[in-house]
Amino acid sequence: MKGSRADKAATVVFWALGLVTIALLAFIIIEILARGFLTAINPKFFLGKPEAIKAGGGIFPMIISSLYLAALTILISLPIAIGAAIYMAEYAKKGRLNNFIRFCLDSLATLPSIVFGLFGLALFVIYFRWSYCLLAGAFTLAILNLPILLRSTEEAIKLVPNTYREASMCLGASRWTTIRQVVIPTALPGIMTSTILPIGRIMGESAAIVYTTGLFIRNIPISPFDTAAPLAGYIWYAQSEALVPDYRQIVNGGAALLLIIVFAIYFLARWAGNRYQQTKLLGPKMK
Amino acid sequence: MRARGGEAVTGACFKGHAFADRENRVKVVMLACASVAILAILLIFLFIFRESLPSIRELGVKNLFFSTDWRPNVADPKAGHYGMLTFIWGTLLTTFGAMLISTPLGIGAAVFIDQVAPDSMARVVRRGIELLAGIPSVVIGWFGLILLVPAIARVTGTSGYGVAAASLVLVVMALPTITTLSAETLKSLPAELKEASVAMGATRWQTIYKVLLPSAREGLLIAVILGMGRAIGETMAVQMVIGNARAFAVSPFARTSTLTTRIVTDTGEASGIFRSALFAQALVLLLIAMVLIILIRVISRKREAA
Repeated sequence: MKGSRADKAATVVFWALGLVTIALLAFIIIEILARGFLTAINPKFFLGKPEAIKAGGGIFPMIISSLYLAALTILISLPIAIGAAIYMAEYAKKGRLNNFIRFCLDSLATLPSIVFGLFGLALFVIYFRWSYCLLAGAFTLAILNLPILLRSTEEAIKLVPNTYREASMCLGASRWTTIRQVVIPTALPGIMTSTILPIGRIMGESAAIVYTTGLFIRNIPISPFDTAAPLAGYIWYAQSEALVPDYRQIVNGGAALLLIIVFAIYFLARWAGNRYQQTKLLGPKMK
Repeated sequence: MRARGGEAVTGACFKGHAFADRENRVKVVMLACASVAILAILLIFLFIFRESLPSIRELGVKNLFFSTDWRPNVADPKAGHYGMLTFIWGTLLTTFGAMLISTPLGIGAAVFIDQVAPDSMARVVRRGIELLAGIPSVVIGWFGLILLVPAIARVTGTSGYGVAAASLVLVVMALPTITTLSAETLKSLPAELKEASVAMGATRWQTIYKVLLPSAREGLLIAVILGMGRAIGETMAVQMVIGNARAFAVSPFARTSTLTTRIVTDTGEASGIFRSALFAQALVLLLIAMVLIILIRVISRKREAA
């Protein structure tokens, strides 16, 4: 039969397409780790001080920069995202304003990260005269990550059953009291879980930060106004402009380490998400 | 919306109370948080436009946006030429190449996840796609630089850098977006569609090709447009493999630049009108992104109306 032969051929093609994506992922992971894993786990490398022109430099200040930047970014964007999510989930009525806010969030989610980078350069680095610093990068990334953080926070808030709100209001609690005492505590594990994934994205982001936080440092940044060099940006800098003779090894090791960090964050987020869902299925613990 | 009844009751109870006042204050604070998104977009527009204004004014729209003459002068920015058409073309060319591969691959993988694969296999592919989306672009760029570029060089006898390498790297960036969103669209189709088709005696392939894909048309289009947005905006991975030349690319193996890679390559050393011309390139990227967003809005409105 003609139909069944076409069907069999199509099945083979779809299996091939599905497997190609997995093979691509496996190929990238294996190639990156094969070249850089040994360098990445060498304490001399990940705890070492970077060199500007000599070989044998490490990347410790870059790792600290990445962590510091991620912490600052979450510190800035999480309160705003929670407030905005509460507004969108609890207060907003369907209408022009609500529609416009969604439009702006969609636009923020689609803009290329290099546009955020130039914006951060123009506003924070030049106009505010902060020069290249962690805080400039953190504000830039906070805006970049707002749409994702807001959406996941909003979903966590919407998962709180309506009966909770009704019960609270029946007891005479006002809307804000209900949100503060019932909705937020119930949604908090979900909100916390949903901030893990954006941290991975912040650590991997490079185009938005190379012209806001800086590209190369030798000492660990202390103040938020210190110049920093997050790992992802430094990898790009090392392969394209650095003068060190062993840049290949640095980039191999850095790329492997970055991949390990980002994947570790991904699996942590999955694990936390699953755990949260399980406790939800068993019923939330009441205080 | 939720708890509308509750709102009416509490609203009535607390009228005239200090509570009502507090309720309003809280609402204003929350609204302010939500408005940060509006403020951010306005500020981005304002600052990108403000910084690109000097170059638009000095060079004129024609010499800036519609000229291929890009000869910057670092020491004396005013003496340079800053036509960006070459890079707009580079962006279009690399994106087109990437979409040519990632659209069938992404939609095919989505059909595989939703219709063909057994559950365990579908989960593996879905997780794999999520991981692929999480790989930082510098890592993908480095992968392209150490593997793709030498491979292309060996096969074609060119340097290996160029449009083809950039397009292949962009496939990796656009693929997760297209696959995830296409799979979501297919999943949201009513089960009756498939059941009716199978009941009529159609094979799985006929059902997919004649019923499911046409019904999901708008959603798939949105998935491809968003994937395109990622490809147009991707910077670091492309910068590492495209060769960063100023020449207008005709061959897929020619070194050239895109808007994003030109910006990231030159911003460090640019000043004055040179830097302003780079901001004008960011302005073009901003406008392209806006056009894509509006396009998506129009398509999804059409879908809701249907």
